[in-house]
Amino acid sequence: MNHKDYLWLETRDLQPRMKQPIQGFINFLLVTALFLIVWWICMDPRGILRWYTPQYGYMYIRWILIASIWQAYIFNFWPFSYKFMETRHPLIKGIILITVNLGIVGFMVWIFYYSIIGRLSIPYLSAPVLTELGMSSFFAREYSSLAILMMAAIASWLSPIWPVCFENHPWHGMKQPARGFTVWAWTFLLTTYIFLCLMHPHYHVLFYPWQEFAAAFPWWYKFAHTLSGNFNVGWVMCGTISIWLLELTFERYPFCLIKKQPLRGIAGFFGVLVFALVMFATFNLLQDISWGVAVEGAKRLYAPDWRYLHSGELACMILVPAMVLNFYFDNWPKKYAPSINIAIRCLIILVTTGILHYLYYKFSPPILGTQPGYSHPQQFPMAPVILWINIMLYHNWFMDLYPGKKLASREEYLLNPSIVAEKV
Amino acid sequence: MSDLSRRDFLKGLAVGGTVGYFAMAGVSSTVMKNTFIPPAKVGTEDIGECKSVSVKVISETSWFNNPLLLEDIKKAGGLLVNQYEIPWTNTGVEEGWKGDNAGGYATLIEVEQLDGSKRKFLLDTGWNVDWTDECFKREGLDKMLANGEIEFLIISHEHFDHYWGIESTLKHRPDIPIIVPKGFYPEGFELLKGAEFPKCHLSNKVPHTGPLEVRESGKVHKIMPGVASITFDVPIITRVFGEEVLVFNVKDKGIGIVTGCCHMGIISLMEHVKSTLKGGDKIYAVQGGLHISPFEDWDPQYDDLVLALHHYGIERLGCNHCTGYITAEKMVAANLPVIKGTAQFKSKRDIYLGNGDSMTF
Repeated sequence: MNHKDYLWLETRDLQPRMKQPIQGFINFLLVTALFLIVWWICMDPRGILRWYTPQYGYMYIRWILIASIWQAYIFNFWPFSYKFMETRHPLIKGIILITVNLGIVGFMVWIFYYSIIGRLSIPYLSAPVLTELGMSSFFAREYSSLAILMMAAIASWLSPIWPVCFENHPWHGMKQPARGFTVWAWTFLLTTYIFLCLMHPHYHVLFYPWQEFAAAFPWWYKFAHTLSGNFNVGWVMCGTISIWLLELTFERYPFCLIKKQPLRGIAGFFGVLVFALVMFATFNLLQDISWGVAVEGAKRLYAPDWRYLHSGELACMILVPAMVLNFYFDNWPKKYAPSINIAIRCLIILVTTGILHYLYYKFSPPILGTQPGYSHPQQFPMAPVILWINIMLYHNWFMDLYPGKKLASREEYLLNPSIVAEKV
Repeated sequence: MSDLSRRDFLKGLAVGGTVGYFAMAGVSSTVMKNTFIPPAKVGTEDIGECKSVSVKVISETSWFNNPLLLEDIKKAGGLLVNQYEIPWTNTGVEEGWKGDNAGGYATLIEVEQLDGSKRKFLLDTGWNVDWTDECFKREGLDKMLANGEIEFLIISHEHFDHYWGIESTLKHRPDIPIIVPKGFYPEGFELLKGAEFPKCHLSNKVPHTGPLEVRESGKVHKIMPGVASITFDVPIITRVFGEEVLVFNVKDKGIGIVTGCCHMGIISLMEHVKSTLKGGDKIYAVQGGLHISPFEDWDPQYDDLVLALHHYGIERLGCNHCTGYITAEKMVAANLPVIKGTAQFKSKRDIYLGNGDSMTF
């Protein structure tokens, strides 16, 4: 395989501009400041655009994430050349790649869903179509945003599985953009199928009267004690976070020990699924211990569907420290055996997640313009958390962690396939 | 990295699968839950008893054009925007009150004590002062306020449609004792003193001169024998926080609940009553807004609620206002004991209690 067939992110060599932990803290604070500015401009209910209505802005946040994954992991930054990636100043490169990213988001929401799928197939995927059908424009936008963002949520679980677990098998030998389009089409097909099974039944019940001829009755009702698709949102988010923990914290261990594909991919996929379900069940139990058992039909803290959603929110919060440790503190520690390194990282991540959880609910009202309290039917902590994650991904994937790090000269490095092979 | 033999892989798979299965089964098992989760409490707080309660709907029509209200919210930036910053439409609304989309919510409550004496108080005070004045006049509240027959005003929560018509009450009795739940924002207290908020077309020309009590959450506040209020720390749309509800212990019948909007959820509320009040396991009647589909919107979670209400044995359900017509239709279809109204004084349908209707329990 040519070196250009490896993921750019796996083969690039980032060198520190200054010592740790100064470098990590400067970069992290910079990214956090940028997140707060973007939140204020676009999302904050006291800010300028006020897109956190909540579903409308949340939809864009979700799609920025999946578009970033497509750009970096599925298309390996195609159509941009390696020369472009290697030689452009990180800020210029970042601005260009972010513009493309936002272009993809705009295309998917406004063209693909609003104008094509929503108009020709499923009305709830298009705000203008729902409005034309007589719904108030506010709820037309909220309902369609929820559906479109759920597509992205499922895609953010399934899309990384192919590059991370299956290493794009069986299409690993293909060149870009053929490989990108093939993996994209396959994962997007899976996403659509899973969406139809997990979220379409939610819309059976959402409209009045029930759409029993158009969508199946929510099959999870008997054991989840709710008709809401939030049950699925919860475990899917745990799945998304599990795959990223495998990539960032576990560095694909122990599945990387399996050399053969598709065995490695299958083991990775099911391993991630089991890990996700354990995480989901654990968070559900922790909430039952904290607030008492959920009650069928209750709202807020005691609503079963909110508990499931909150399990997904808690999982999402895990990803922030995992990402910060990986991106800004070089995934410390690295000097011990893989299992020891991972155990120490997990401990750090768990403790910092607890701190983040406390700080979020303590300070998000004055800082993010949200309302106090854990359970609010119109608030989704995943929105600010994923926006924060998006800014970190922009910073790392599109800007080479500038200014804390710089891209090393890659000429010699890439000409030596053994170095590349060892690194990946 | 070493290659993995088939045997090692299968061993790993078996160990991983077994650990995963037991981990999942463990955290979701009954044994685990019984070990860590405390058992449900049984209510012991005694609020005494009353003989009967009569609830008169002064106004349940908080606004007259639903899409227009939603458009105002959408333009302002959605459901989390501060209510005092939303320029609510107040002119040119055909089905509104004199062109204004604002209506309001207010309920008169009369409690008959065991000795036969009767006491009255007001729950909420509407939004549009002109509309609320009209409703007060229609039901004789103007005179009841002026002659002190209405003992006090209790505000369920700070929402525009429940509180912003405060002038309608104060103009008849500026010194009326007022009870508000914990969570009121500074703007709410300023309004009471006579502040103006031009952006949301809000003002109060009659400053309050009487006692004001802010009710803490997490406690049962006894009001009179058989009557109490409970405040909940609950975040609500348009940046409102906290709501209090009224609970009654009616002799030989059971618990009655009267709400403003019930943002904490009627089932959560009944569970709380069950675990707090003596006799709380027998909920006889519920009256007021249940905040299920106030904008005629829907969510599968609301169906959970409609389906679960059967388990609580409510005998009389006098819902209205933010309960929503869709919810009422679903409740009727589910054979819940929804009390019909008369659809008068701008209440649009008779499916539930409307303006001028009353209920006794």
